Amino acid sequence: MSTPSSRLRLVGAALTVAASVAALTACSSSDDSSSSAAPASSCAPASGPVTLQYWNTVPGMDQVVALWNQKNPTIKVEIKNVSNDQYGQIGNALKAGTAPELAQVGYDELANLRLQDAFVDASGCADAKAAKDKFVPWTWSQASFGDTGVFAMPQDTGPMALFVRTDIFAKYHIAIPKTWDEYAAAAQKLHAADPKLSITFFDPNNAEWFNGLLWQNSAHMYAYSGDKWQVTVDSTASRQVADYWQKLIAAKEVRTDLANTSPPMYAAYEKDQVATYVGAAWAYGMFRDNLPKQAGKWSIVPMPTWGTNPASGDWGGSTVAFMKGNKHLYESVKFNVWLNSDPEALALENKLGGLYPASLAGLQLPALSQGVPYYNNEKVFDVFADSSKNIDTSFAWGPTQKTVNLALQDAMAKAAAGSGTLGDALKTAQDAALSSMKDQAIPAAAG
Amino acid sequence: MTDEKSGRRRRLRGGGPRAGTIAAFLTPFYLPFLLFYLVPVGYALWQSFRVVRRTGGQFGHAYTTFGGFDQYLQVFRNAEFGGSLGRIALFGIVQVPVMLFVALIMALLLDTPLLRAKGFFRIAAFMPYAVPGVIAAIMWSFLYSPQLSPVVDLLNGIGVSPDFLGPGTVLWSAANISTWCWTGYNMLIMFSALQSIPPELYEAAKIDGASNWAIAWRIKVPIIAPSIILTTVFSIIGTLQLYSEPAVLRQISSNISSTYTPNMLAYAVASGNNYQQAAAISVTIAVITFVLSFGFLKLTAKRAGL
Repeated sequence: MSTPSSRLRLVGAALTVAASVAALTACSSSDDSSSSAAPASSCAPASGPVTLQYWNTVPGMDQVVALWNQKNPTIKVEIKNVSNDQYGQIGNALKAGTAPELAQVGYDELANLRLQDAFVDASGCADAKAAKDKFVPWTWSQASFGDTGVFAMPQDTGPMALFVRTDIFAKYHIAIPKTWDEYAAAAQKLHAADPKLSITFFDPNNAEWFNGLLWQNSAHMYAYSGDKWQVTVDSTASRQVADYWQKLIAAKEVRTDLANTSPPMYAAYEKDQVATYVGAAWAYGMFRDNLPKQAGKWSIVPMPTWGTNPASGDWGGSTVAFMKGNKHLYESVKFNVWLNSDPEALALENKLGGLYPASLAGLQLPALSQGVPYYNNEKVFDVFADSSKNIDTSFAWGPTQKTVNLALQDAMAKAAAGSGTLGDALKTAQDAALSSMKDQAIPAAAG
Repeated sequence: MTDEKSGRRRRLRGGGPRAGTIAAFLTPFYLPFLLFYLVPVGYALWQSFRVVRRTGGQFGHAYTTFGGFDQYLQVFRNAEFGGSLGRIALFGIVQVPVMLFVALIMALLLDTPLLRAKGFFRIAAFMPYAVPGVIAAIMWSFLYSPQLSPVVDLLNGIGVSPDFLGPGTVLWSAANISTWCWTGYNMLIMFSALQSIPPELYEAAKIDGASNWAIAWRIKVPIIAPSIILTTVFSIIGTLQLYSEPAVLRQISSNISSTYTPNMLAYAVASGNNYQQAAAISVTIAVITFVLSFGFLKLTAKRAGL
């Protein structure tokens, strides 16, 4: 059909296009290397009306933004829900140079994204710097990387606490544990009383949860000194946590076959097979909505402590970050501060999205000082507010946290399946941290 | 002279629209082929020869530079990569022959005159293929979960307590999902090959005294050998690209790691922003797939008469 020469021409054309595409990508990558360290960006207000893009995963955020738009006709905010593959979408947009002005970023992803050159420093804006006192200290410390700039505003947090089936504890005449030692003793008693009953489950595929436990014990995973990251994922403090859970797993006093928030997990709670849940503030609605029949049987108490140290941990929560390419920093700061510290906005976010605020004023919301019917009208948010105050402010995340979390999970799963221990898993995670940082040419050393 | 010139011009003019027509017909194929096939492959290849460097400091800026075979050396030194290959090799060696054998038996049964309600059985066997792989995996994961599964409840009732999601069994639970999804599809390919065999062959065999059994194994199977080989190659490729079944089961079982199959490993590495290493893993998987499928074709070419 086609002559050899026309076929050749087509191949030639194809090669030309391919070469030009290669050249284009080559250009863009060399562009990366020439971009220099950006100083705090200027904060001049725009002369006319502006439109800001804000990507998030919070249910009901459209109503919060509608409230803002109604009050601020010259700073219009448009939102996009990125619940599906949040960081994939943000990463792609950054690569394509189409990042929104503002995006929701979890605390543990901040360092990673900052290393992808994802943020602008808003510390040139007076309002941004002044917002520091509005937030729970540890959240500001993480969003500002220890006060070296203002890259994001804290939005919500997940101070941890213990969710307890008081009826089960009452049935077996066991006191609700206040320390981890008492918790282990209770685990043993409950399991002995009913072999089908476990005090809780250990989900090996949930590094975020385990990191919250490490945080409680001040098992700092990273530090920065000199010109290097110090990696201390495997430390005496982290080993203490790992060895504790390893003992419970080995004695089969905690289950390892339930994935957090999976249908099988709810089924196990529904069948009265699990007596507690080591959870975070945002989970208060989880049991209420999924296990309505257990209303009145649950209580929320402070997380068990290591000895007499009242320290608590955090699991989850997010910030709203100022993204690279933001040309309306002044307006972005105005909206971002309002979004995360205005009582009216916070009340809506709490009501519609279940967010537990990172803002100090937010902790005083009327909705957060009332009793919750599901929990026998107990003021459960007081427990979370106390927890929030007892969270170590100097805990920091690593620049390859996702890779480290995956390595930790894979190794914890092996331990749960009987090969190796959780202590070994910390060693694996430590190695993964060092090697992944080496791959990304990030200066690091075992600390 | 002038005649010759004008003649040539006429010929050229005659060729013009024809070349245009050819281009018009070919562009819809070649343009997407170029944009969505050759360019991404080329980009992955190019990425796989890059390494990340940084300008220094805690939050130094990243750039990439030529790294030779660094990324590939790392792929081969990575124990997780070897582990994932070993896992799918085991999967492939067991699942592919079992699935194709079942498909062949089903195709042969459908082809016998003895079976009634053929249309129903053909559609019924093919039906799982119409269920998207992820949906099938979610469905099966409910059947495997000890908390939710009626099957597990039933088995518990008769004193058997199976663990479909244990460290030693979860691979076979995934294999079962693949088999369920793909057997009907492979059966249909073999069945349509059987349909094209002229019935005179069977008559001749019967006259020579061949039983139905002999007709199936001595005549039908050798004739449809090319289809069997084709389905084997497809299955080898499918096995090497295994992703959705284990990825879905991972949601309810921690016995599937983030690096369980080579594709899952590539995805995990890419999600940690190490795109260059992910590219090298992808290229390596592609090369292994290419070698295995063409190797198998070459090995069987003579016997199948291809």
